[in-house]
Amino acid sequence: MKNALVNLVNITKSFGDQMILDDLNLYIRENEFLTLLGPSGCGKTTTLRILGGFETPDKGQVIFDGKDITNLPPNKRNLNTVFQKYALFTHMTIAENIAFGLKIKNKSKTYIDDKIKYALKLVNLDGYENRMPDSLSGGQQQRIAIARAIVNEPKLLLLDEPLGALDLKLRQDMQYELIRLKNELGITFIYVTHDQEEALTMSDTIVVMNQGYIQQIGTPENIYNEPENAFVADFIGDSNIIGATMIQDRLVEILGARFACVDEGFGTNKPVDVVIRPEDVELVAPEEGTIQGTVTHLIFKGVHYEMEVEANGYEWLVQSTRMCPVGTHVGIKVDPFNIQIMNKPESEDEEAVGVNE
Amino acid sequence: MMRNAARKIYIFLIFIFLYAPIIALIVLSFNASRTRAKWGGFTLKWYGELFQNKVILQALWNTLAIALLSALIATVIGTIACISMQGMKRRNRTILMGITNIPMLNAEIVTGISLMLLFISLGIKFGFMTILLAHITFNIPYVILSVMPRMKQLNPSTYEAALDLGASHMQAFFKVVFPDILPGILSGSLMAFTMSLDDFIITHFTKGPGIDTLSTKIYTEVKKGIKPEMYALSSLIFITVLILLILVNCTPKTEPKKEITERSKNSSKKWIAAVVCVILCIVAVFGFSTFKSNQSNEVYVFNWGEYIDPEVLVMFEEETGIKVIYDEYETNEIMYPKVEAGTSAYDVICPSDYMIQKMIENDLLQELDFDNMPNAVANIGAQYYEQSAAFDPGNKYCVPYCWGTVGILYNKTMVEEPVDSWSILWDEKYANNILMQDSVRDAFMVGLKLNGFSMNTLNENELQIAKEALIKQKPLVQAYVVDQVRDKMIGGEAALGVIYSGEAIYTQQENADLEYVIPKEGTNVWIDGWVVPKNAPNKKNAEIFIDYMCREDIALMNFEYITYSTPNEAARALIEDEEIRNSSIAFPDLSQYQNLETFNYLGEDGDELYNSLWKEAMSY
Ligand SMILES: Nc1ncnc2c1ncn2[C@@H]1O[C@H](COP(=O)(O)OP(=O)(O)O)[C@@H](O)[C@H]1O
Ligand SMILES: [Mg+2]
Repeated sequence: MKNALVNLVNITKSFGDQMILDDLNLYIRENEFLTLLGPSGCGKTTTLRILGGFETPDKGQVIFDGKDITNLPPNKRNLNTVFQKYALFTHMTIAENIAFGLKIKNKSKTYIDDKIKYALKLVNLDGYENRMPDSLSGGQQQRIAIARAIVNEPKLLLLDEPLGALDLKLRQDMQYELIRLKNELGITFIYVTHDQEEALTMSDTIVVMNQGYIQQIGTPENIYNEPENAFVADFIGDSNIIGATMIQDRLVEILGARFACVDEGFGTNKPVDVVIRPEDVELVAPEEGTIQGTVTHLIFKGVHYEMEVEANGYEWLVQSTRMCPVGTHVGIKVDPFNIQIMNKPESEDEEAVGVNE
Repeated sequence: MMRNAARKIYIFLIFIFLYAPIIALIVLSFNASRTRAKWGGFTLKWYGELFQNKVILQALWNTLAIALLSALIATVIGTIACISMQGMKRRNRTILMGITNIPMLNAEIVTGISLMLLFISLGIKFGFMTILLAHITFNIPYVILSVMPRMKQLNPSTYEAALDLGASHMQAFFKVVFPDILPGILSGSLMAFTMSLDDFIITHFTKGPGIDTLSTKIYTEVKKGIKPEMYALSSLIFITVLILLILVNCTPKTEPKKEITERSKNSSKKWIAAVVCVILCIVAVFGFSTFKSNQSNEVYVFNWGEYIDPEVLVMFEEETGIKVIYDEYETNEIMYPKVEAGTSAYDVICPSDYMIQKMIENDLLQELDFDNMPNAVANIGAQYYEQSAAFDPGNKYCVPYCWGTVGILYNKTMVEEPVDSWSILWDEKYANNILMQDSVRDAFMVGLKLNGFSMNTLNENELQIAKEALIKQKPLVQAYVVDQVRDKMIGGEAALGVIYSGEAIYTQQENADLEYVIPKEGTNVWIDGWVVPKNAPNKKNAEIFIDYMCREDIALMNFEYITYSTPNEAARALIEDEEIRNSSIAFPDLSQYQNLETFNYLGEDGDELYNSLWKEAMSY
């Protein structure tokens, strides 16, 4: 909290009678690459727009660099936004686009020219000064949008699904480019996406959101390996999420079979959810497995095979480099470290309710 | 193959139908001959005359000023409307778009009349301002219609992106949003400009005395008889509107700007700004000069078209310092409701005998003070005051201005027998060579006189007989027309025509084969005279004006210009050409004829009776 650049305090926002954000609290450290991750409609853009100054929260405060900027208009904030659809000024050349903010601030011509050169070099588009935005590809346009934002030397850059409109290959290239940019510039990024892979690749910190509530905050590893609830587990990658009973510390009963695990403190004979990543399910000879089942589906995925195994009334998702043909009788084994135990929500609503930071 | 040929013919036919009239018009505008009937060689004369005609140039000015100002203001208002509509919820926006579009679908005449009523009820004086307001009103939807689609295409984030980069709301709008919707704004304003240029109906209802746009000017001119200058003017307007419409449709969808350097772009921007500024200044100055005319030393004159020598008006203004605001009408019936409604207060009007009687009876006129008008007392012949006493008992309201008879104009090369009776208009020999007047009272005058009745009769039997006569004559008549009798007779398109004596003199000058007679059964001796309406704002100036018209040299100028007989004996004495001074057409010896009458006002019932009989005769 000490070196927090941004602090969102008790932010509440509704549109009409639709509550979008309910008492949201979040801080962002200086130099952090923080990603808001969640399904679409969960309030990510709204959060970002409150930061950018395009929406005013109904309640709560936005603290930026130690000052309350809740009611400051966007043009007075020392931060910049990269919009989802680039939002380049189509009637201006690339150079004019990049110079826009600097001209408004009445910078000298040489300063502006230098900045344009520098920014274009930074995004690998030198020599594009006199082109019109229409003549650029989507990826190039997005890089110009980023260049246009960073020449203003903001302390904070907000990016709202900036790669959403690009195709897969380009998206992956741009992900590395963004990481490089962030490291070179040394500024804070708040990044919005609904793509968990993107979030895992780029972020220092991921904030998983659902229906306006923060579900979990953590490093990518943390989020991936130790999802705090079924929503996070389900949202981050494919998972086997199975209803189970915690018999006692370090012993859980899944689908009638007892598995050793490492979690403690859930009580005895408590209903819980367990998360087992598909790559953590080991297929062994039937007699070696904790439970037995039959392979029902098989797909080759390049690096690995993906299989579905019917066992004790559940379709287990399994990823393995070893192939078992459909119909094979197999045993299932899981390393205790790879069984993640989570509290079961008592009602549907609770699934979305915020967990404490 | 067959189908292809058929399609070509089809397209060709469509083009013929659409463009033949306009091509005819354009061809005629280059015709050296005054008549439509024959081709007299190629000439640019009419275009030349057009640009020397001050009245038309003034109308052109008005048209441009109104079109430019209304397009400009409508563009600003329309664009602001679009911006605020864009911020609305979809449902509200759809409703609002509908509301703004309705005036466009509304019949123009309805819009025109409603605007007129609105201005009357608000007490706004009719003139430049009312036309401008009306044009702004009907132009706004066109602007909205062309800006709105651009607005919808706009990426809403660009505006926020500009704010995000530090721009204020104003800067964001003008630097980012405006250039994007500019093509829409331009084509919208061009559209508005064209619509304004093109409009007749709405202008007609909202204009006031002394101001005309090209379209209303053409309308009044054409009413008087189509002159070749008007072909030229109409051709020019058509070409202009055509070019504008092409421009509107070709406004660049993608700006061709690629490698324009900063400097050249900036200078071209400045250049456009400078031009716009200059135009605005000119328009503003012009606008002010029209509004400024609100001074009290002026006189509003409402007269027949082509019924005064324009030079006389200039002289009057110079000599008296009174500014003349001059407006024209085509028939007594068009003039009357305007004066009665009081939307525009005129000082001097020049109605005909029966109309003067009607206006006196309806208490629309005020008595004249002849002490202020020595020329009117001294120069107008006593016999004319006697004649006018028939409709203005005691000579209190009217000073005679022009008079004349109605008779038969015939072409000596086509009619060999002597002409002295209305009955020749029923002679089958001349089937399809006869021109009748297309107005109730004039037509019935002929029918009634033929049968020896009074032309002011209200006797149903007599009127039925006259009606039967007109019905019987109908198959022989080539056309029922008003002013075209003159042109058609000059062009030799007909053998016989009922015509006013003043026109007869003019036709004889143009075609020596024409001869005019007053039939022995008697005819209409008409008098048009100056009167001052009750609500005249400048009665003093009105009397100065009337008296000026009675000055012998002025009356002479007017006589020579309009060629209708003048009751001004002093002026007649000044006519140099003896043939004209003693012309039996211009100055017939009325004592030689019997059954000469002046039209009386027959009351509303009488008018109704005549009108219904006329309708029966014409639809028989
Ligand atoms: N201006 C607005 N008016 C009404 N509802 C809005 C507005 N902006 C966003 N919403 C609603 O708020 C919810 C969250 O939207 P948003 O923050 O854009 O979600 P995300 O970016 O996570 O997809 C959505 O249901 C959306 O329909
Ligand atoms: Mg979003």
